[in-house]
Amino acid sequence: MDTPLLEACALKKTYRMGRVDTPVLRGVDFQVAPGEFVAILGASGSGKSTLLHLMGGLDRPDKNGGDVLYTGAALSGMSHGALDAYRRREVGFVFQFYHLLPELSALENVLVAGMAAHGRGFRAKRQELRERASGLLERMGLAERLTHRPSQLSGGERQRVAIARSLLNEPAVLLADEPTGNLDRTAGEAILDSLQSLHEDESRAVVMVTHDEALAERADRVLRMIDGRLAGSAETADTGV
Amino acid sequence: MYQGLLTRRYLTSKITPLLAMLAVMLCTAMVLVVWSVMGGFLAMLLGTGRTLLGDATIIRPVNGIPHYQELILRLEDEPAIDAATGIIDAPGLLKLPDGSILTVQVTGIDPAGFDRVTDFADTLWWRPIDEPIAKDPERLDPRLDLDPRHLAHGERMEEPDPETNDPRPAIVTGIELAQYSQRQPGGWYTPRWMFFPNAEATLSVLPLSNEGVAIDVEARTFPIANEFQTGFYEFDANKVFVPLATLQEMLSMDAATLVDDGYSFGVTTGSDGKPAFAEPGAVGIDPARVTAVLVRAREGVTPDEARDAAAVVYQSFYDDLEQEGRAVPPPPIELVRVLTWKERPGVSTLVAAVEKETALVLTLFMFISLTAVFLVFSIFWALVNEKTKDIGILRSIGASRRGVAWLFLRYGVTIGVIGAATGGALAYLIVLNINPIHEWIGQITGGRVVIWDPAVYYFTEIPSSVNSTHAVIVLCGGVVFSVCGALLPAIKAARMDPVRALRFE
Repeated sequence: MDTPLLEACALKKTYRMGRVDTPVLRGVDFQVAPGEFVAILGASGSGKSTLLHLMGGLDRPDKNGGDVLYTGAALSGMSHGALDAYRRREVGFVFQFYHLLPELSALENVLVAGMAAHGRGFRAKRQELRERASGLLERMGLAERLTHRPSQLSGGERQRVAIARSLLNEPAVLLADEPTGNLDRTAGEAILDSLQSLHEDESRAVVMVTHDEALAERADRVLRMIDGRLAGSAETADTGV
Repeated sequence: MYQGLLTRRYLTSKITPLLAMLAVMLCTAMVLVVWSVMGGFLAMLLGTGRTLLGDATIIRPVNGIPHYQELILRLEDEPAIDAATGIIDAPGLLKLPDGSILTVQVTGIDPAGFDRVTDFADTLWWRPIDEPIAKDPERLDPRLDLDPRHLAHGERMEEPDPETNDPRPAIVTGIELAQYSQRQPGGWYTPRWMFFPNAEATLSVLPLSNEGVAIDVEARTFPIANEFQTGFYEFDANKVFVPLATLQEMLSMDAATLVDDGYSFGVTTGSDGKPAFAEPGAVGIDPARVTAVLVRAREGVTPDEARDAAAVVYQSFYDDLEQEGRAVPPPPIELVRVLTWKERPGVSTLVAAVEKETALVLTLFMFISLTAVFLVFSIFWALVNEKTKDIGILRSIGASRRGVAWLFLRYGVTIGVIGAATGGALAYLIVLNINPIHEWIGQITGGRVVIWDPAVYYFTEIPSSVNSTHAVIVLCGGVVFSVCGALLPAIKAARMDPVRALRFE
């Protein structure tokens, strides 16, 4: 494998529950190549969401608990500002519960990622970003839903808005945390089709955590997480990497 | 950028922030109204006092200041002084046409000279007017059909004798005196037939000897030429103006012949050879006196400067007349008091009391306004808790801690600005209409609630002007209070762990 896009090196993460330390990740190593679709399969509580949060720079590993490297650069060496910029530009999150801002319309929920990324420069790029956000929502089949608020959308539609938001700043990798976990089978399949098409059409790397084996089968590679460790990996398709 | 969008949406979709805005608005309006009324009261007190009393005064009660006409000429030659006039202040009793007797403050004035120092003529109420005042659409104000001679009589303080038509001295009384002229809600007065015009009142005063001992009661009946209205209730309810020369006669302060100390009462033979009383040997004139000389400063000269200039003039006046060896020299400067109008007895304590009361009331209301800070704080604290997931979402898309803090601070600033602006507008409307509001409260409570009692607050109307500097300070204070209330919640939001925030239920 060439220089990996994203790399977890002996990642450890412990949460303190009262006076008890609960290790969630017990030393996780894996790599994601550019354009690769990796599924991390695991039961609830196995630590897969925590792994995703660490890889997305939302959380930090334990002290001496390994590191996450993005194109070779350690996230632990980054300042808060650099980590914010990493989340703005390099990664896009898709969550199980969509996590849309309820006061904003579908279009505004997508645009807000552009506002965070461009700050005061957003004003100059407003039209360009607006067109791009509209285009992404149209591509997700939401052309008629631009002005709808999340409460007026179905679960599948909300998740597609969340995917559009994660793509606005053209990140190199999408981190999807149980993206279909809250959807029925049909809606879940549609979401997965969207993710797969993004991966295939734009060669965007996708890391998806799921407990659904059937969904995990759609990825290039499946990693199984059991009790905070990756138990092994299996390639499901020829990724060419 | 997202801060502006979310601030707008939070403002329009939540009721609780509107409560914070309401709190800021009410506190801002409350403080501004209180400051405007108290500050306006003080400003009106100062302005009216200066108008009524001149800028500076040379006072010598009881014995008075002789040769005051020469002093006035010297004072008016002084560049810092615009005009000067002599007055006599004395207590008196006024018997009214209905037989009632009031204790009054009698002031003897030379109408023309007094007007040059105090704008006295402008305070005369009974003057013809062409157009009714704003609150008199039905043209009920008697001044619309008033005989113009009443104003001339008031200005000259003379009325023609009904029998001889010769001018005779007349008095001008305060319009609230015994409430003979009744103030109407619209702001005009209706006189009772028995009082004005064509009424007479008997004034009694007590002349004192140079030793301050009462000589006898002196009473005279005067026609009432006009009434004055300064808006300063204390004056309008107690003061009676009498022509200076008349009051000098009544108080034995007019010019008199000085007799030889060696004169003894006896009988001599007259030129016709019959017995006659021996004439006293005249040795000079005891000049007319006044108890105070009021001084009006020239434009741009402060009362303090006018006082200092008046003191210098008085000193040279005393030196010169002393040197001339006048039979009755003026008292040395140690025996007179040269004061600004604010330093006059009664006025200085009143002004200081009002200044202290204003500061005290403002401080109390500022403390009460601190509740707005706590209200904004608790509302924002609850808002940050409610919006925990939003904070996690924003952090997940790369919003910085500073950006999240600014979201809530900006929200606080917006609530503060809108609250303070609407509070300022509300205060302006209240202050502008404070007298009608006061009258309305009086009407709906059947007169039981009287917030502004002229007998307590000196003025018949509640002062109604908003000082722009005060308004800016209060409005900025409203914004600062709101930001202070939002500060800790904003810091809490910024420090929130994004993962915990996303998992918040």
